[in-house]
Amino acid sequence: MHNKKLTAALAVGALLASGSALGGVSDGAVVSNTCAGCHGTNGASVGPAPIIGGQPEMYVASAMATYKDGTRYGTIMNRIAKGYDPGQLLDMGKFFAAQPWVSGKQTVDAKLAEKGKGLHTANGCAGCHGANGTSTTPTTPRLTGQYVEYLVFQMQDFKDGNKPIPAAAMVMRSMLASLSDDDIKALAHFYAGAK
Amino acid sequence: MSTINRRDFVKLTSAATALGALSFPFAGHGAAKAKAKVVVVGGGFAGATAAKYAKMYNKDLDVTLIEASKEYISCPLSNEVLSGERDMKSLTIGYGALGKHGIKVVNDEVTEIDTEKKSVKTKGGKSLPYDYLVVAPGVAFKWGALAGYDEAAAEVFPHAWKAGPQTLLLRKQIEGIKDGGLVVIVAPPNPYRCPPGPYERAAQIAYYLKHHGKAKCKILILDPKDKFSKQGLFMAGWKARYGDMVEWKSGAEGGKVESIDAKGKVIKAEFDEYKPDVASVIPPQKAGAIAEKAGLTDDKGWCPVDQATFESKKAKDVFVIGDAAVAGALPKSAYAASSEAKVAASVIAARSLGVPVPKPAYTNTCYSLIAPDYAVSVAGVYKLNAEGAIVDVEGAGGVSPADASGQAGAREAVYAISWFRNIMADTFG
Repeated sequence: MHNKKLTAALAVGALLASGSALGGVSDGAVVSNTCAGCHGTNGASVGPAPIIGGQPEMYVASAMATYKDGTRYGTIMNRIAKGYDPGQLLDMGKFFAAQPWVSGKQTVDAKLAEKGKGLHTANGCAGCHGANGTSTTPTTPRLTGQYVEYLVFQMQDFKDGNKPIPAAAMVMRSMLASLSDDDIKALAHFYAGAK
Repeated sequence: MSTINRRDFVKLTSAATALGALSFPFAGHGAAKAKAKVVVVGGGFAGATAAKYAKMYNKDLDVTLIEASKEYISCPLSNEVLSGERDMKSLTIGYGALGKHGIKVVNDEVTEIDTEKKSVKTKGGKSLPYDYLVVAPGVAFKWGALAGYDEAAAEVFPHAWKAGPQTLLLRKQIEGIKDGGLVVIVAPPNPYRCPPGPYERAAQIAYYLKHHGKAKCKILILDPKDKFSKQGLFMAGWKARYGDMVEWKSGAEGGKVESIDAKGKVIKAEFDEYKPDVASVIPPQKAGAIAEKAGLTDDKGWCPVDQATFESKKAKDVFVIGDAAVAGALPKSAYAASSEAKVAASVIAARSLGVPVPKPAYTNTCYSLIAPDYAVSVAGVYKLNAEGAIVDVEGAGGVSPADASGQAGAREAVYAISWFRNIMADTFG
């Protein structure tokens, strides 16, 4: 993570996080289960709000931390993230990382997906997001099987110079600068349908 | 440490007693019992969520959900039936999936709750004992509290505040209105189910009228209140999409309705009389009837609870959740009901397992659709204060930014539908 303030905040959180965020009847499970009404039981959203179950621990925690400090744009998430302390954000990270990833049930446009695959390769997206978008990096989200609508919104936001962007995602702004709306759509269809 | 003083001894012996209780959880009264019987009364967002999450937190619990209806019809998004954008089928879901979680679903009506003997009786003649009872009866209407508005009057001026035949009746009336006609919505006094609902209803009716050659119609909201949920966003949304079609009359401006004459089709407010072509009258509310019958309500008709656990202040091992409960700053919304249910489920599971009760967490999110491509939201994150009341976490929550008519409002419309899909799956799936 490049954001020092965020790193420090989450380090403090690590000390506060309850030891038993996983499963069982714990503070971590109780606070994480408040997310399920929008993000699905155990984070397995039925869409198009993003699937968060099975995302890397530090990605979930830092996404919440950047919504909280306003460096990440959201419609409703900034207002919600402000309600939690760093320990709770890390509990959420632990809880959702421990859940199985359940890819969204959706139809993708095969032609668009093919074009998206080309863009994925040409732009070297796998460098951070892994082959087909199945991230193996702790702070990088998995894209494979994520919802098309969400992926499009997120790429539009990262590209939009008028919107805040987390320091760790600045690279996305330059990556997306040369891509058109159609390119973004194609990438979304590729990741949504990839295995 | 060769000698033990009295204080140390007391400490030691009470520790031993506590250990004993943990080692022999089936021994005494009130002790943990992993396979405890949990009976849930009511299968709405609160009840069904409580049943599901109690099982998720402790799979050994013996959970029975008792619900009179075979299917649940969602109130959230039911205003979209009025605009014609949605059918009832899309709001309807069965209880079959709960069975897959090991929950026994009994299609019956609870007629009696004995909180002394810890059992419930049903219309079908069943008697079910419980270790923990969850009561989630939703709201009942205070028939007659608004002079002239009773169940018969609701067939003329539908409340449509419980999704079902009333929703379809109102839809049919709206479809029959002629251009230039008057629609009146009578908003209820606080507290009531779904605070933004009457105002979303105005937008949804306006959407239908505007797109069906009836743009000269007028929608008048008569309100006893002087402010309402997401007020600024609704007023901006009505104006942006429907011009002057929607008008809101506050209590101070004479919006308080004094009587209803359903036969003569007249609504008498404090200053003026109205003769609407169509009216939706949303009456004052109280906790569902079974809560009152079981002695769980206060003098205002709602159920006081310990806001840390949702255990009733009137009966031990009885938890009241959802619209019926007095839950501090939490509104009477589906999401809040779900959130309350999860807290109660965690308390029941922890007690049954003999483990510490986790810290409660409460959240609300609620979307309102101004039009199919334009929604606004309110969110809240809550905590317990030192006095044990649920209060807002300072600095968190609130409504959508004021400029919600553009991209943000369109995205919130996508997420409003996503909210519905996910909360239905989280509750009934």
